[in-house]
Amino acid sequence: MTAKSGKKSPAHYKTVIHLLLIIGSLFMVGPFIWMVLTAFKSLGESTQMPPVIFPARLRWENFTNLFDSLPFLTFYWNTFFMATGRTLGALVFCSMAAYAFARIEFPGKNVLFLLILSVLMIPSQSYVIPQYLIMVEFGWTNSLKALIIPALTSAFGTFLLRQFFLSMPRELDEAATIDGCNHLQIFVRILLPLAKPGLIALAIFQLLWSWNDLLWPLIVNNSPSKMPLAVGLASLQGQYGTNYPLLMAGSLLATLPMLILFIFLQRYFVQGIALSGTKG
Amino acid sequence: MGPLFKQQPKVTAPLRSVQRLSTKKKQDYFWAYLFIFPTLLGTVLFNLGPVLYTVYLSFTEWGAFGNSTWGGLVNYKKILNDPVFVSSLKNTLIFTVLSVPLSIALSTVVAQLLNQQIRGVSVYRTLFFLPVVTMPAAIGIVWRWLYNADFGIINYLLNLFHIKPVGWLIDGNIALYSIIVVAIWGAIGYNMVIILAGLQNISPQFYEAASIDGAGMFTKFFQITVPLLTPTLFFVTIISMINALQTFELIFMMIGPDSLVIRDTQTLVFMFYKEAFINNDKGYGSAISLVLFLMILILTIIQFKWQKKWVHYS
Amino acid sequence: MKKLALFLMIFALVFVTACSSGGGTESGSNSGGGQESGANAGGTNTGGTDNSNEAKGAGNQPYPVTDKEVTLSYQFWDVNQQPAMQKIVDEFNKIYPNIKIQLEVIPWDQYWVNLEAAATGGTLPDIFWINATNFRLYALNNQLLPLKERIEKENYSTANFPEPLLDLYTIDGEQYGFPKDVDTIGLWYNKELFDQAGLEYPNENWTWDDLIENAKALTNPEKKVWGFAAHISQQTNWYNTVYQAGGYVLNEDRTKAGHADPKSIEGLKLFTDMIHVHKASPTIGQMTDTEPRVMFESGNVAMIFDGSWNQIRFRDNEYTADRVDVTYLPQGPAGRATIVHGLANVIAKNTKHPNEAWAFLKFLGSERAAEIQGETGTVLPSYDSAMELWVKSNPKFNLQIFVDSLEWGVGYPTTVQGRKAQQIETDIFTKAWAGEISIEEAAQQVAEGVQAILDEDNAKYK
Repeated sequence: MTAKSGKKSPAHYKTVIHLLLIIGSLFMVGPFIWMVLTAFKSLGESTQMPPVIFPARLRWENFTNLFDSLPFLTFYWNTFFMATGRTLGALVFCSMAAYAFARIEFPGKNVLFLLILSVLMIPSQSYVIPQYLIMVEFGWTNSLKALIIPALTSAFGTFLLRQFFLSMPRELDEAATIDGCNHLQIFVRILLPLAKPGLIALAIFQLLWSWNDLLWPLIVNNSPSKMPLAVGLASLQGQYGTNYPLLMAGSLLATLPMLILFIFLQRYFVQGIALSGTKG
Repeated sequence: MGPLFKQQPKVTAPLRSVQRLSTKKKQDYFWAYLFIFPTLLGTVLFNLGPVLYTVYLSFTEWGAFGNSTWGGLVNYKKILNDPVFVSSLKNTLIFTVLSVPLSIALSTVVAQLLNQQIRGVSVYRTLFFLPVVTMPAAIGIVWRWLYNADFGIINYLLNLFHIKPVGWLIDGNIALYSIIVVAIWGAIGYNMVIILAGLQNISPQFYEAASIDGAGMFTKFFQITVPLLTPTLFFVTIISMINALQTFELIFMMIGPDSLVIRDTQTLVFMFYKEAFINNDKGYGSAISLVLFLMILILTIIQFKWQKKWVHYS
Repeated sequence: MKKLALFLMIFALVFVTACSSGGGTESGSNSGGGQESGANAGGTNTGGTDNSNEAKGAGNQPYPVTDKEVTLSYQFWDVNQQPAMQKIVDEFNKIYPNIKIQLEVIPWDQYWVNLEAAATGGTLPDIFWINATNFRLYALNNQLLPLKERIEKENYSTANFPEPLLDLYTIDGEQYGFPKDVDTIGLWYNKELFDQAGLEYPNENWTWDDLIENAKALTNPEKKVWGFAAHISQQTNWYNTVYQAGGYVLNEDRTKAGHADPKSIEGLKLFTDMIHVHKASPTIGQMTDTEPRVMFESGNVAMIFDGSWNQIRFRDNEYTADRVDVTYLPQGPAGRATIVHGLANVIAKNTKHPNEAWAFLKFLGSERAAEIQGETGTVLPSYDSAMELWVKSNPKFNLQIFVDSLEWGVGYPTTVQGRKAQQIETDIFTKAWAGEISIEEAAQQVAEGVQAILDEDNAKYK
């Protein structure tokens, strides 16, 4: 019966999907490919209009020059620290808050949730200077604390995970309550594992934003030893023009870890199907 | 208390269950507040405080480096009379209304395609994810080149068909739409990750049952996938809307403050940036961001009320 | 509800704290604030022109430097100049090994927000770069250490700094910084395109008419080549021609905007006519799509007005390295003029180590520091004897013209709300460049807008 229900047989149906995905991917990869190609170009080749697409030769020296002009390893280390700190913090605190908002009724719930969400509704540049003043007040300038702690509480993450928790069947909670579990146990043992796809998605975004965070580190830190990758890349963009080959080379080096991580995390998106689902 | 109690002996039984409820409620409240405490504290300390400062600023005439004098409603009155505010508002709304639904629809289709058990799906997923990790400067350069009226690929292709070149980024009537295309393009990678995650939560048992009933691909998509995806879609809608209403980077990167079409593409946050950082009038800038904030808040609340109509939670 | 009240109390506390710390421009962190003027004002060091060899620790100095180890922060935005700055610091440390200088590079795009936040929070770096557009804002708001008294007490000579540049960083006779480098504007041209068209290269005798004629002859729309890019930017383009026509942007004491002066309009017209009348320039739309400098580097434009700072970029770009050269800006009806600008090194008013910072500032302004900068060719140092080094750093370009042009240099005209004024100019003149309104009309509107800003600034800062 199933073979007759659709007009296309499974083989054709897969071909169509492949076709669509190939066309779509081509649209998506353009700028990235340009980034890779430009990383190997000369300065002259990179500024031509109409653009030169392929470099005359592969200039690996762009990459070595990069390490000469900027302390890239320091940048990597700082970024890694900052990104990991923020992501772990976000995962823990956001999931906790999300659980409360999704599963518990308490006074002021909607108002507080809206309060937390409302932070997203104001452009961050409008209050970045007062935020800096608070850092000065606390004495946190030029420290890793300033890079990590203010970013630990993500409205985005709380909202995302709340939606995930809301979509999980209440029967799970009820069964656990009958078994005598309190909220902490329900949260940690039952719902959190089920939220893996959401946690991973959040981790990806949080890592990404920390990786690319530019303005805040530059306002709160001045010393070169605390600067993250994004700052290093930004310094390649000068007042009167940018050395694009260097910038793209740096950008590639900065992006590579994120890309590898994403490829690695793929499996959890597929495995999720096996993990989720009601038991019985 | 004594006589009251004696007059209503039937109260004893319900009173005991009220007490039991109360203990459970107490437990609930304890865990609830404990769980939200870190997030709330961080929000209040690092976000709300500064935001309140911004509110205060919006009522001042800003001097330099923190010196400001109280101005009352002067900034807000200025907004009412500012034609730039009106055009920025218009641009922002057009941008949001067009980019949000389109990008969500496209992202959902893409996520669904990427959720199939086909060979090389993780390769495709990575390819679709690339725009998310591509440096914005690179994205800006490539798109600006594509759109370049004299040397760009799009006009080159049009020329092959004997169509006259279009000023994608320099014609005031078109520029905003050119940017919307880029916005949608860039949003697909982001949304796809979230929607993919949401798709994992849909138990395959539903699909199996539907297949047994003879449901085809499209039926399954619209009757099972989409409804069960609505919590995630709700999230994507709200976040996309909030972000779209605050578009700035894209305009700054593709157009810039000195372009001749900035007046046709300027968004509210761009206007804020111009007032706060170029004109150095933080008071006026703060007022603008607050008006925007109220707009977004109201729209979000409306969306939250509406969700009962289309979002299915378990 | 009680919990809610608790939270409200917390953030109210935070709010109050944030407000109070944001209020003052000089929060109390200056333990060593103020100048420690020594008892003996009489002892001076070398009265000659070279100030870099002050004897350290000479007891009769009016501003004695400590023997203890101190660390100063030196902030700037160009990572390309970091090696030169490091070299300067190393040489400085030979004289003062106990004064450590930490170099802090903040990228250009974020530099001014970072500086503003620091100024608001009272945490400015000890020494930093500043440019003309932002200088007055900081100086008039008491963020910078005044230097006049120190200069006089030590008999420090400022004779080697270009006069228009020194004036740029002086307000009402009070000096706030020392020029670090200088830039002027020249006419860059593509030799290859000139050769192909059989035309002679531009030279020092060129007038506006020569520019127009040659630009027309070099323009070839089918090949997408134009003779001259009549760009709308101020410092590199029409500010120069306004003065070449005998007009002015701002008058001497910054009380009047001169855009609507008929002579200024003549200077502006050179550009709009180039686009609309002579058709020898790309349109403003085209120049928005593609930067004029990129057009120049790609051989699409034969001539541009641009700054001395480009020499390093054109040198490193293999397309331009041998194809382009530079000469004097053409003369206008009222003769020669070029906009002179340059960065200055300044000291934060609330620095904890004013004497040490002053010692470093003097070294930064010394001949040796200028030589180090000139050698690398990155910037034209603002010190007479060191300029030659820069000129010699790349014999392929006729860099001497930039040094000569200082003779008819006009200091960059700006006011406290400099960025705002320039945005008004750009916004309104864009319409004239695009042909939507006449240049006369635009000039009138701009003059009114800028005048309003001048009046505001003058009222606020007496």
